[in-house]
Amino acid sequence: MINDTQNNLVIEKRKLPPGDFAIWIFIMAELLVFAILFATYAFTRAGDVELFNASQLSLNQNFALINTLTLITSSYFVVRAVAAMREDKAKNCFNWLIAAIFMGLIFLVVKSIEYNHHYSEGINMRTNQFFMFYFALTFFHFMHVVMGMVILGANAVKTRAGNYTSENHTGLETGASYWHMVDMVWLILFPLIYVMR
Amino acid sequence: MTKGIPLKPCTIVYILLMLLTLFTWYAGVSEFSGLTISFIVLGLSLLKGHLIGDYYMGLKTVSGGWRWLIVGWLVLPGMLITIAFFISAG
Repeated sequence: MINDTQNNLVIEKRKLPPGDFAIWIFIMAELLVFAILFATYAFTRAGDVELFNASQLSLNQNFALINTLTLITSSYFVVRAVAAMREDKAKNCFNWLIAAIFMGLIFLVVKSIEYNHHYSEGINMRTNQFFMFYFALTFFHFMHVVMGMVILGANAVKTRAGNYTSENHTGLETGASYWHMVDMVWLILFPLIYVMR
Repeated sequence: MTKGIPLKPCTIVYILLMLLTLFTWYAGVSEFSGLTISFIVLGLSLLKGHLIGDYYMGLKTVSGGWRWLIVGWLVLPGMLITIAFFISAG
C-alpha cells in the first residue's frame, strides 16, 4: 500500500498491471519491435551522419511539436476517462474518451499533411536511407494510432452502453494501457527522428 | 481506498510532459547539434516515458517487476542509441 497523505488517500498496490494481462504481453512485444527499429535507425545513421543530419533538417519540427502535444493531451484525457469510471461517472468517462479520440484524429490529420508535403516535394521512402527510416517508423506508429483509436472507440461504445462500472472496467484499462504505449513510443520517436543530430 | 493513481499527480505530470516537449522542440528548431544536447534530449524523453509508465499506465502502484520492465525498455533503446551516437561522433 502507498499512503498519499497530501491527497488523503490510501492507494492499494496491485499484483498485476491495469487491464487485461494479455495486452501487457502484446505491449511488451510491440515495445521490443520499436526498440529494435530505434536501434537500427541509430546504427544506420552512424554510417552516414551527414546524409541523416541534412535530411533531418528538411523535416517540419512544428508539425512534430503539435503531434507530440496532441498525443500527450490525448493520453491525459484517457487518464481522466479511467478516473471518471472509477467514480462511476460513465457520462464523464465517455466524454473524455471522445476527446481523446478527437486528439488522435488531429494527430492523424497533421501527420497526413506532413506526408503530403513530403510527397509534393518528391520525397518518398526511396529518396535516401534517412527517409526510408522516417516513413517506415512514423507510418508504423501511425497505424498504431489508428488501432488505438479503434480500441478507444470500442471502449466509448461500451461505456455508453453501461458495460463498465467502478468495480469492473478492465476493458477500459486495457484500451488505456495500449494508448499510453502508443504515446510513449512517440515520445522517443520525436527526438530521435526530428531533433537529435 | 483507491486502486489508481490520484488525478492531481497525473495533472502535474501532464504539465511537466508538455514543458519538456517544448524544450525538445526548441532544441530542434534552434538546430542545436552535438552529443551533449542529443543526450540531454534523449534523457528527457526517457524520463517522459518513465512518467507515462508510472503515472498514466499506473505501474507505480503495481507490485513486482512490471514497473521495471518499462524502465528496462526505456534503458535498452536509450543505451543502444547512445552507443550509436558515440560511434558516429568518433
